[in-house]
Amino acid sequence: MRPGSPPRVLAAGLALAMTISACGPQPPDGATLLKQSSQRMLQLKGFHFQMQINGFTGPGEPVQSAQGDAHPPDLHAKVILKEGAVLLEVEVIFNADKIYLKSFTGGWQQLTAAQVAQFFDARLLFDQQAGLFAAMRDTTSPSRGNSEKVNGHDAFPVEGTLQGPRMHQLLPLIREQGTYHATYWIETPSNNLWRARVTGNLFDASQAATIVFDFSNHDHPVSVSPPPLG
Amino acid sequence: MITPFRSARLRSVNRPALLALTGAGLFLASLDAYVVVTALLPMLTSVHIAVNRPEQATPIITGFLLGYLAVMPIAGGLSDRFGRIRVFAACLTLFAFGSFLTASAPSLSQLVTGRLLQGAGGGALVPAVLALAADLYPAGDRSPVLGAVSALQEIGSVLGPLWGGLVTASSFGWTWIFWLNIPAAAVIIWALWPEVRSRREERRPTSLDWVGALLATAGLALLTLALYAANPEQSPVGAGFIWQAPLSVLCFALFIWYERRTSHPLINVRRFRDSSFSGSALTNAIAGAGLMVGLVYIPVLANAVFSMNASGSALLLVRLMLGIPVGALLGGWLAYRLRSYRVVAALGLVLAAIGFLMLSGWNEGSLKPHLIGPLTLADGELFLTGLGLGMEIAPVSAALLDAVGEAERGAGASFLIVMRLVGMLVGFSLVAGFGLWEFHRATAHLLPPLPGLNLDFATQFALYTLKVKQAIFDEYHLIFRVTAIALLVGAAVAAATLRPLARPRWQ
Repeated sequence: MRPGSPPRVLAAGLALAMTISACGPQPPDGATLLKQSSQRMLQLKGFHFQMQINGFTGPGEPVQSAQGDAHPPDLHAKVILKEGAVLLEVEVIFNADKIYLKSFTGGWQQLTAAQVAQFFDARLLFDQQAGLFAAMRDTTSPSRGNSEKVNGHDAFPVEGTLQGPRMHQLLPLIREQGTYHATYWIETPSNNLWRARVTGNLFDASQAATIVFDFSNHDHPVSVSPPPLG
Repeated sequence: MITPFRSARLRSVNRPALLALTGAGLFLASLDAYVVVTALLPMLTSVHIAVNRPEQATPIITGFLLGYLAVMPIAGGLSDRFGRIRVFAACLTLFAFGSFLTASAPSLSQLVTGRLLQGAGGGALVPAVLALAADLYPAGDRSPVLGAVSALQEIGSVLGPLWGGLVTASSFGWTWIFWLNIPAAAVIIWALWPEVRSRREERRPTSLDWVGALLATAGLALLTLALYAANPEQSPVGAGFIWQAPLSVLCFALFIWYERRTSHPLINVRRFRDSSFSGSALTNAIAGAGLMVGLVYIPVLANAVFSMNASGSALLLVRLMLGIPVGALLGGWLAYRLRSYRVVAALGLVLAAIGFLMLSGWNEGSLKPHLIGPLTLADGELFLTGLGLGMEIAPVSAALLDAVGEAERGAGASFLIVMRLVGMLVGFSLVAGFGLWEFHRATAHLLPPLPGLNLDFATQFALYTLKVKQAIFDEYHLIFRVTAIALLVGAAVAAATLRPLARPRWQ
């Protein structure tokens, strides 16, 4: 090997890398990213989701976490509820406007809309108008940060603000009065939303809580079928 | 196999201090074997697992036992090669690391990994300390020391649930059961540090039976997986039972085949031809399974239907645990007086079976009626169960140790512990899966009432709760009855196989 060649190769490589990064497509700004990702997420044939609530939730908010597969408005999820000091798991299916619940014992039973509203209408989470993906467009003063790894994917965090009434639509137990801080992690160019986080005094005027949504299996077809009753 | 070194130098060290320190480490690890039984509910809650998915708690218990069993066969050989105290210190460090993982676990998988490492570190201490005791004391003085080490292990494991219950119910919470292990282990290692660093300990190259250990561990791990009912609503055993169970049997068959051929086997499998040896090993395993059922299900029952907290359920379990040492002493004395292992062992197991049969008649009012003064009938039933389980320990252990003879006594003592743990692991895995499966079967059509649908929701809900409680009781009745039957089988095995006491040889 000729002397002096490694530094030259290194310099050439460095120059090339700089050129690529300088000439590479610039990621869109926060507002555009939110709009594109919202559109993408609303059109998916299906996805897997996981929702986790941390911080102060109070006695009126029993839901601790939920995870499942959705093709809104249909979805199938396992929900963990907090009852005193213990956690309880139930399973819910939303299929063709019908709601089914599998509780602590026995099989599936059908619920009325009034009954499900009393505990957790998971359909609202991903509703075309009221849900999270629609709320992305309603996020004000968005600003994009540098790419981060989220669940093994490079995604741009976009921070912004969500108003109380908007969040209240999504989860009726959230206070209407507050203003909440939202962050979305969006991958480009797929526009896949990998994570969304909302923080603030969600369930109590003076105590903070956080809701984190994690998404995966974007556009993997999900079909939810009605369960056998009994 | 534990063969003591004839090292004069090691004997010149402060033997009681060395034994006390290593014994303290062993005690610490054995405390943690069943420490979780009274802390299961808060442990599950902190890793976000719902109380109506109790099957997910099974690996928290079986993980430790599996880790313990996996390392026990090789730890003795490792301590031959690298030095007892070094291996002891390394394993205690592993135990402390496992405790750290358990205490800081944000998820069930880390919790189970922590328990597995705790078990692996803790299990290795048993043969290391037994071997150290054998090194430190000459053949004539060794028996009481080996007995004391084994007893320490037993006492620790029996006190564990009480310790766990008290810490869990305190304001510190369950994680402190495991946080406290770290400074305790650090102090022991610090005190032993001069010995760890010194090159005084004799080492010798030994051929470790890695193949045998691997086969036995693989067989046990597969069996545990096969029996783990991750979805008890559908099946009382694991989803992979169909292939895991035969594979596990194959591993055990290969293990026996290999052990007969290798020059340094983990265990002399030809001993199983001696009915007194195999009979006492089997009896010991059955008694282990019985003890495990009591240790796990009495606190869980106390919690689920008698609404007791962690310390309350631990105190209920104490009634059973108190019976064990009393029974152990009584069993040893009776066996000596009657000059019969089989009668005393069988008697103990029959008493324990009667105890479990009485427990299987419990209902919501069973803890209330007073018998004499503050004592209730339930106290007596629990004590009787423990007494019976304690009574078999001495005669069954002695029968096995007699069968192996003086030269293999250390290995025999380890083998006793292994068989007991195997019985606990397999027995508990079976009972947990089938119990929950039966519960789901019994409640398959019991739908909870929904608010809004029924006008008299409160009444309906109270009725529903009653029915669920009854289903839980039915599950426990079945578990206790099956355990009683298993113990009666153990009694029959002991009565048929154990040899009478060897005639004392006067020296």
